[in-house]
Amino acid sequence: MRVLVVYCHPNPESFNAAVLDVVEQKLATAGVETRVENLYADGFEPVLSQQGLADYHSIPKNREAVQRHIENIEWCNSLIFIYPTWWYGVPAMLKGWLDRTLVPGSAFHLPIHGAKSIEPGLQHITRLAAFTTCGASWRWTQLMGAPGKRTLLRGVRSICALRVRTIFAAHYSIDSSTELSRSRHLLKVERQMDKFLAA
Amino acid sequence: MRALVLFAHPVEDSFSAALHDLVVRQLNLRGWDVDDCDLYKEKFSPVVTAHERRIYHDESANVAPVQDYVDRLRAASALILIFPVWIFGFPAILKGFFDRVCVPGVAFKLENGKLSPNLTQINKIAAVTTYGGHRFRALAAGDPPRKIVTRTIGFYCQPKKIRYLALYDMNRTTIQKREAFLRRVSDEMDRF
Repeated sequence: MRVLVVYCHPNPESFNAAVLDVVEQKLATAGVETRVENLYADGFEPVLSQQGLADYHSIPKNREAVQRHIENIEWCNSLIFIYPTWWYGVPAMLKGWLDRTLVPGSAFHLPIHGAKSIEPGLQHITRLAAFTTCGASWRWTQLMGAPGKRTLLRGVRSICALRVRTIFAAHYSIDSSTELSRSRHLLKVERQMDKFLAA
Repeated sequence: MRALVLFAHPVEDSFSAALHDLVVRQLNLRGWDVDDCDLYKEKFSPVVTAHERRIYHDESANVAPVQDYVDRLRAASALILIFPVWIFGFPAILKGFFDRVCVPGVAFKLENGKLSPNLTQINKIAAVTTYGGHRFRALAAGDPPRKIVTRTIGFYCQPKKIRYLALYDMNRTTIQKREAFLRRVSDEMDRF
């Protein structure tokens, strides 16, 4: 098993960092090969530039600017996202990672010869997890259509393996969280990681 | 009647840019005072910084880093978003506009844990967008950008009018389809 963890939060003291700790411990205990990308610490540039877009359909030129990230995606067979939900979605930083890293010729293949839709390119990814925190309650998030969760667990999922295992855990109403609710959530993340790692 | 147009595409000869030109022209013709915000040209940074995150809930301080954009948003009575859908959502530069500018005290009020809309001077909203894939593909993923516009922005603005104008299947588009979409957008902006 080869796991890529994409972590996105600006503050090292954030609760998301505690979630990352739990995930990394679980991965270390299981002894699986792991790569962690910390987008903020790395100063990742999330804006797909004019040049980037000009090269977007040129394979393999469209890989150059984000070479390491694309190699990570192609290397791993399991993918974990850890991020805060802002404006009901993934932070712009993480959205930009998706925009720039999931490019044609790698993550998907554009329709050719009359095909109706793109072909998935991440069929080697068989496990997909998202761990997040939401300011909104569970109910309010559902009313808004849970766009963040769906971007990853339906959108990105659709270019992964057909029977990809998906795992999700969110701490809702994070601004009124308590020590108890947070420690309960970390236990939940542990249990979800057990499911993620199970054979 | 001031309209804030948020445009998110870096290439000048793109179809998105043609939609942008058309929308701005039609709004001007109809007598709107257009604030044309080209996020790429203005080099808008979409990244919420560690500092901004720490002051997020402090309404006396949280607008300072983006004061100009907050002022422009508050001055608008209509909001028009023009963007391509990339990977099932807004381009990062547009997502970050909401992350950074639409903070508590701007887009919404949080009082005793109760959320109330705070951009209610915006009474008309339109999104003009293109999807690479077929509509079925967007629906299968829950169509996150449509939900953000119609539900989330819709809630915070409580507008009288919301138009979500989308051209799907751009990967296999034809000139006829693009022209028909330009006509549709033109008609909608005429009536906006």
